[in-house]
Amino acid sequence: MKSILKMILWSAIALAGASALAAIAFERREPLSAVWFVVAAVCTYLVAYRFYSKFIAAKVLALDDTRATPSERLEDGHDFVPTSKWVLIGHHFAAIAGPGPLVGPTLAAQFGYLPGTLWLIVGAALGGCVQDFIILFCSIRRDGKSLGQMAREEVSKRGGMIALLAVLAIMIILLAVVALVIVKALKESPWGTFTLAMTIPIALLMGIYLRYVRPGRVLEASLGGVALVMLAVVSGQWVNASPAWSSAFTLTGPALAIAIIVYGYAASALPVWLLLAPRDYLSAFIKVGAIAALAVGVIFVRPTLEMPALTRFVDGNGPVFAGKIFPFCFITIACGAISGFHALISSGTTPKMILRESHARMIGYGAMLMESFVGVMAMIAACALQPGVYFAINSPAGIVGKTTDAAAATIRSWGFTLDPQTMSVLAQRVGEHTLLDRTGGAPSLAVGMAQIFSGTIGGERLLSIWYHFAIMFEALFILTVLDAGTRVGRFMVQELSGHIWKPLGKSGSTAGILATSALMVGAWGYFLWQGVQDPLGGINSLWPLFGIANQLLACVALVVATTILLKMGRARWIWVTLAPMVWLVAITMTASFQKIFSANLRIGFLSQANALAAQISSGAIPADKIVVTQRLIFNNRLDAAVTAVLAVMILVLLVEALGEWIAILSGRKAALLHESPYIATRWAEGGD
Amino acid sequence: MKIVRNCTRNIWSWIRQVSGDAAYENYLRSTRRIAQAEMARVDPRIMQAACCSTRAGSAAPLTREEFYLHALRRRYSTISRCC
Repeated sequence: MKSILKMILWSAIALAGASALAAIAFERREPLSAVWFVVAAVCTYLVAYRFYSKFIAAKVLALDDTRATPSERLEDGHDFVPTSKWVLIGHHFAAIAGPGPLVGPTLAAQFGYLPGTLWLIVGAALGGCVQDFIILFCSIRRDGKSLGQMAREEVSKRGGMIALLAVLAIMIILLAVVALVIVKALKESPWGTFTLAMTIPIALLMGIYLRYVRPGRVLEASLGGVALVMLAVVSGQWVNASPAWSSAFTLTGPALAIAIIVYGYAASALPVWLLLAPRDYLSAFIKVGAIAALAVGVIFVRPTLEMPALTRFVDGNGPVFAGKIFPFCFITIACGAISGFHALISSGTTPKMILRESHARMIGYGAMLMESFVGVMAMIAACALQPGVYFAINSPAGIVGKTTDAAAATIRSWGFTLDPQTMSVLAQRVGEHTLLDRTGGAPSLAVGMAQIFSGTIGGERLLSIWYHFAIMFEALFILTVLDAGTRVGRFMVQELSGHIWKPLGKSGSTAGILATSALMVGAWGYFLWQGVQDPLGGINSLWPLFGIANQLLACVALVVATTILLKMGRARWIWVTLAPMVWLVAITMTASFQKIFSANLRIGFLSQANALAAQISSGAIPADKIVVTQRLIFNNRLDAAVTAVLAVMILVLLVEALGEWIAILSGRKAALLHESPYIATRWAEGGD
Repeated sequence: MKIVRNCTRNIWSWIRQVSGDAAYENYLRSTRRIAQAEMARVDPRIMQAACCSTRAGSAAPLTREEFYLHALRRRYSTISRCC
């Protein structure tokens, strides 16, 4: 009886999900309610978790709860700490949730809501969650080893080196692109800049409190910090209204870029307790709170999606970024569906804290489903805007023009309605001077979120406060990624440079810290500066580069996972990791090829460099612009070289792995697994 | 009423655990467990006597401040935040 009821329940969930997906895919008569998206996503997640992840846990990985996990065998009270799965999923989700699933879907909305939404849901269930779950399992079986160590042991030494270089490359490009998103969101915005600037003294205050007044009392310090940040958001309106204060906090793009570079350097070199850690606590609280509020807001307000299912920009000539749906929709969404970076978290702290092998299913697979849902909500918030408004905010001035009239005329010529006054009135309502040329996704997402929040609390009166709350939330946790990433990057550079000159490798040496911090900040700072100077907005070239690097890292993770499955004697089930890997290789290679060689000037780095060089030769560039143009040519060639290096790295790794797979399958080589030996658990069955 | 109280207590405990507020208490519990296991390996009879001592074992546990700084150094020397 019970099993019949279960069958009926799961059939109903599957039917509801399929109906909602069908409505999203085929309904064209009137704008869709966001409820369809929530139902489609939640039902698909439930079915995927209940059936697919269970199949992977039981058949593919054969999780074994009688086996002691590293947290039991190596417990030390510091890294290896047995932790309840309900607590660990909170830690793991807070670690994997970054700006990617918010910004990526917002940018991909230029194709319409359909391609991005489908990829967010399907890509996560069949790709991203599988990667996170299996890498977590592999790391648990290897005492919490990192992805690089597993690649070196299970694939080849070269595979390990490629993983290390890929991590460093993705880190540099990631930090540059997220910094660019902040610059685009805060330029000429005194309210937003003031709020974000205030988070620095607030974090310092929290740092001193946590270090000297009440050591380690994270909760009380964070609650106080959150209250002060809210006060800063509200006070921003008075700063905005005061001519003197407003001009002090009105910064241009280049000025903001310099400020962020200086901040990144300071945060990386200062003691971690003073700025980095308290900012991280602050950001984690606001991040989780804002995401939960967005989920509640979407369900309460049930906004209607104004964006069509597919826009004319599926042809590859979109103003937000250039390129067709295949491969650029997938490269752009990246983290919301599958993120290589997650493999670093799944092979970082989480495997050292997991209590039982079976918990890997909920933590690895389940947390990624939650991340995908964040991406779906970002898609809803972006598509709830009038398409004309969305494109006016996200298109660079180089494409739509610098004035509201010019932008409205261009956007109308694309077939979307936009009154010139609409943008001025909207900017006024959210407390900004202008919303034009705010590329990067953050401002349009903030407008969408503010409309949803104000539909729940405060109405029109609080729209400007909600907008700046959303901007602060995005900028705050982007800055956290920036300073934590710079610090870790510094350690990696220090490790690598120690091979060249030993004193640089010493983690405690002040000269080493200052030099390697400068190297790391200089690397991402260069790409940031390049993005700020780019006449096409920078996002057009940097975000795809970030997407390629991220998906490349996911390829590395899936190659490692496939190799381990083969060695475990699960050749029958390797399609579980092989299928997403083949798909990722296809999109990464196609995107890399197009970004390097496409004849379309907005896609191909080389063709843009050649076109600019031809303009200089023909005398079409005025004398005073020649130096700037030469720098643009160099930057385009540099981007092409970086893309080529990333593509070659994945090809080398694939060749290495293929050789290993063929040798194992043909019996020429023994399948030597590097798992820790089996030790039975001493803990009672089923405990949390 | 009891259900509400239990529920509130569980939620509060979960928030403390997830936020890291309870990290020091976890560390002390863990240190005690390790010390007991070590002693039991040497002489199982000592285990009973040492069950409530935090200083059992070779080294005294870190103070709250020492533990906080130590935990931060470890946490931020590896990738702990994602994109």
